[in-house]
Amino acid sequence: MSSTDNRTITIKRTFDAPLKLVWEAWTQPEHIAQWWGPKGAAITVVEHNFTVGGAWKYTMPMPNGQEFISEGVYSEIVEFERICTSADFRPMTEGVELQIILAENGNKTDFTFHVIHPTEEYCKQQEKMGIYNGWGSAFDRLDALVSK
Amino acid sequence: MRRDVFQAIADPVRRDIIGILAQEALTVNAVAEKFDISRPAVSKHIRILNECGVISISKKGRERYCHIVPKNLLPVSVWVEQYRKLWEDKLDSFETYLMNLQTKHKDNE
Repeated sequence: MSSTDNRTITIKRTFDAPLKLVWEAWTQPEHIAQWWGPKGAAITVVEHNFTVGGAWKYTMPMPNGQEFISEGVYSEIVEFERICTSADFRPMTEGVELQIILAENGNKTDFTFHVIHPTEEYCKQQEKMGIYNGWGSAFDRLDALVSK
Repeated sequence: MRRDVFQAIADPVRRDIIGILAQEALTVNAVAEKFDISRPAVSKHIRILNECGVISISKKGRERYCHIVPKNLLPVSVWVEQYRKLWEDKLDSFETYLMNLQTKHKDNE
């Protein structure tokens, strides 16, 4: 297990739809608005500049009246194959990298999704925010478990 | 300064050291030889990793061997895994939408 694996979530799926449709649904703002938010939640596509170096920003109203903001900048786009983007989810988590890899599989589409959690700067920033406090009890339970 | 697994992985050299020690236990000197940075700098990282509890150091004769302590690296995976559910949900939502889209396309054909 490398230390990068520790920081990466990988999800693989095969969608029962042709590659072109998957690509469109994932990349076109009118589609994104329909699926990005949790069930029933309306999201607003504030910005969607689908080009390398281009920014995207989606907002969603939260029950407390504030907005949940997702935003990032595309770092790599290979049509029908690959999308890499930075992503901040405020106020939850910042500085992750998303990699979306698509491959045609007959009439289906193989889909690989990596979420790479950040490194040095992020850990420091999170430390400042005291965000680890919330996980403390989970770790205590884990420690208790593995120490048995 | 904070001494936990997150401090341990906050530095790229320390992440490399963890990767190397995950393969085999090595002496401090052997670890230092794998890096371009100075020996004292590597020693300092090893000391921090030890204080963070992700490695342990044992003496064999005059050599000091560094071993990985895998269970103390676990919190990082757990922390990252908290987010998996969220992404799974998002991809579920995407897939559902995609299937609706697919159905509409077929109806139009």
